[in-house]
Amino acid sequence: MDFSTDGGEPGLKNRNNMQKIDKNKRDKALELLKSGSDSKLLTHLNACVRCGLCAGSCMFYIAHKQSKYIPAKKVDLVSSVYRRYCTSMGKIAPALVNAKDLDDSMAEEMVDLLFGSCTMCGRCVKHCSIGVDIAYIVRKGREMLSAMDMIPASLQATVDSALRTGNNMAIPTEEFVDTIKWMEEELIDEMGDNNARIPLDEPDKNIFYTLNPREPKFFPLSISAIAKIFYAAGENWTISSRFYDVTNYGFFNGNKEQATVIARNLYDEIHKLRGNVLVLGECGHGTRANRWEGPNYLQKSYDFDMTTAVELIADYIRQGKIKLDKSLNKELVTIHDPCNLVRNGGLLEEIRFVVKSAADNFTEMNPHGNENFCCGGGGGMLAMSEYNDRRLKIGEIKANQIRATGAKVVITPCHNCVDQLSQLNHTYKLGIKIKTIAELVADALIIEK
Amino acid sequence: MCWYHWIAISSLIFSVALFSYQFARLVILGRPHDLSVSSGNVTKGIVYSFTKAMAPGAKESAYLHMPTYSGGIIYHLGTFLSLLLFFVLITGFPSLNDPLKSIFSALLFISFFAGFAILMKRIINKDLKSLSGLDDYISNGVTSLVQLFTAVYLLVPDTETFYYLSVALFFIWLPLGKTKHLLVFFFARYHLGFFYGWRGTWPQKSE
Repeated sequence: MDFSTDGGEPGLKNRNNMQKIDKNKRDKALELLKSGSDSKLLTHLNACVRCGLCAGSCMFYIAHKQSKYIPAKKVDLVSSVYRRYCTSMGKIAPALVNAKDLDDSMAEEMVDLLFGSCTMCGRCVKHCSIGVDIAYIVRKGREMLSAMDMIPASLQATVDSALRTGNNMAIPTEEFVDTIKWMEEELIDEMGDNNARIPLDEPDKNIFYTLNPREPKFFPLSISAIAKIFYAAGENWTISSRFYDVTNYGFFNGNKEQATVIARNLYDEIHKLRGNVLVLGECGHGTRANRWEGPNYLQKSYDFDMTTAVELIADYIRQGKIKLDKSLNKELVTIHDPCNLVRNGGLLEEIRFVVKSAADNFTEMNPHGNENFCCGGGGGMLAMSEYNDRRLKIGEIKANQIRATGAKVVITPCHNCVDQLSQLNHTYKLGIKIKTIAELVADALIIEK
Repeated sequence: MCWYHWIAISSLIFSVALFSYQFARLVILGRPHDLSVSSGNVTKGIVYSFTKAMAPGAKESAYLHMPTYSGGIIYHLGTFLSLLLFFVLITGFPSLNDPLKSIFSALLFISFFAGFAILMKRIINKDLKSLSGLDDYISNGVTSLVQLFTAVYLLVPDTETFYYLSVALFFIWLPLGKTKHLLVFFFARYHLGFFYGWRGTWPQKSE
C-alpha cells in the first residue's frame, strides 16, 4: 500500500481511472434504493431536514471548513437520487423536493464525498438533531458506487488482495509462517520455557485467534504480546496460517458479495479447525465486519462464540487468569477509542477496565468514548492513497487532542488506528508511543513460573 | 361551512391519508432483522434514544448551536400550537375568549419570527445555503405562513379566507416535503436506539 502524500487534488486521480456510468450500471445502483424492503433505509433516506447542525461534529468540516464536507450534504447525495427515482414527487416535480439525476457528475461527486470525505465514524450520527444514521446512508451510497464499478482503485486493490491471497496485504503463507516461528522462538526465550507456543493450524482448540495483517507485516511484537498473554492465562489456542485476517475491506468498498466471501473465509476456517471461540484481534472495522455484519453477510447465525481480544483480556483479568503489575507501566497513558469498537461497538467500559488494570497513570482525551473523534484513518481512508492529504489534515484534530493530554503513550485496540496515529506522530511531531491493548497488558504481566 | 373550510378539510384528509400510508409502510416492514448476537438491550436503547440522548447536553447540534436550537424548539412548538388551534377554530370547540386569543396570537408571532430567523439563516449562511433547495424554502415558508395567519386570524377575523388557505397549503405540503419528518423523526429515533441498543452503546453506562 502506498502511504505517500499525493500532492494533487484529492479524487482527481481516481476520477481519471473511472468509466462513465451507463444505463445498466445506473439501474443496478438504483435497484439498491428501490427494493423498498428495509424500514431503516426508508426512514433514514427521508429523515434529514438539512439543518446543517451536523457540520460541527464532522472532522472533515472542522478541518477544511468547506460546505461540501457537511454530513448532511453526503446524505443528500444519496437521498436526492432516491427522491428522483423512487418517489412520485421526485418523478413529477424533482426541483420541488430537491430530487436529482444520477448522472456522471453526481456519481463523481459521490465518489469524492462518500469514499474520500467520510470515515463512517458515526460521530455526526450521535449528534444529529433528528437521529439520521448518516454513516449507514454513506455506506448505501458506497454500495451504489460499487454497483457502478466506481470504487477507488486503491481500496479495491486491498479487497482484491484479500480475495486472492486470504489477507489484505497479500502476505505469502511461507512468509507468515516464518514470522510466527520467529515470534515463537522469541516467546520461548522470553518465557524461558520450551513449551511456550504460538500454535499454527491446530484443530480442536478453544480459541481461534485472528490478526490484522499489519501485525505480521509491520508489528510482529503485537503477536508476541498476545502470545505472552495466552501463555500466562494457560490458554488453549491457535492461529490459521491461511485465514487469519480479521479485516474485511469489503465492508468499506460497498461490495457485499466480496465482503461475504471474506467473512466466509473465517467462518469456514474456524469450522475446519473446529475452534470454539472466534477471537477478533485488535482491529475496529474487522470486529465490526465479523461480529456485527458477518452473520448478516452470510445470512445465518454463527454456531460458535465470538468475542474481541479486549473482552477476552478483560475476562482473564476478572477471573484472575492473568495477574498484572500496573507499576510496570508508569508513563502517563491515554486511550484513543476506535469508532467501530466504542461508538459503534459498545466497548467503552471494557477498554477502560483493561487499561486502568494495566497502567499506573491514565488520563482521558477530550472528548473521548462515544464522543471521540476518529483517528482519521477509518472508512478505508488508510487504504485510499488518493486522499492522503485530507486524511492527515483531519488527523490534526486527533493530534491536538493527544498533545493536550500530555500523555506519553496512546493505547488503542485497533491496528488501523495504530497506523494512522503513527503517521500523525511523525507528521505532527507528537513524540508519543502507540501501543495496542495486548502490548500494554503484556508489559504489565506477572509471569508465575 | 364555506368553500375554504372544505378546502382545508380536504387537505387535512389528504395529509392524514398519505401519512397513514407512510406510517403503515414503515410499520409493516418491521424491525431490523439482525442475525448477529446482541450484546446490549434494544428496548433500553430505544428508550434512551427518545429521552437522555435527546437532551440538549447530549447533542452537539443543540449545545454548540443554542440560538438556532432554541429557535427551532420555539418554531416547532408554534407549529404544534397552530395544528391544535386549527381543530379548535374549525369546530368552534372550545370557544376561545379574547384574552386567550391574544395570548395564543402573541405566542404564534414569536414562533413565526423564530421560523423566519431560521429561514434568513438558511438564505444568508453560506454553508446552509449550499445544502438548501426549493423543498427547504417551501417547507419553512408554508410552516411559517400558517403560524403567521393563525396569529393574525385570532386577532382579525376578516382574514379567515387567508387563514384556511394557508392551512390547506400546509396540510398538502406536510407529507410531501421534508416536513414529513413529523412522522419519520420517530422512526429515525427508533432505528438509532435499536442500532446502539443492540451493540450495547446505549444506554451509556459510564460518564
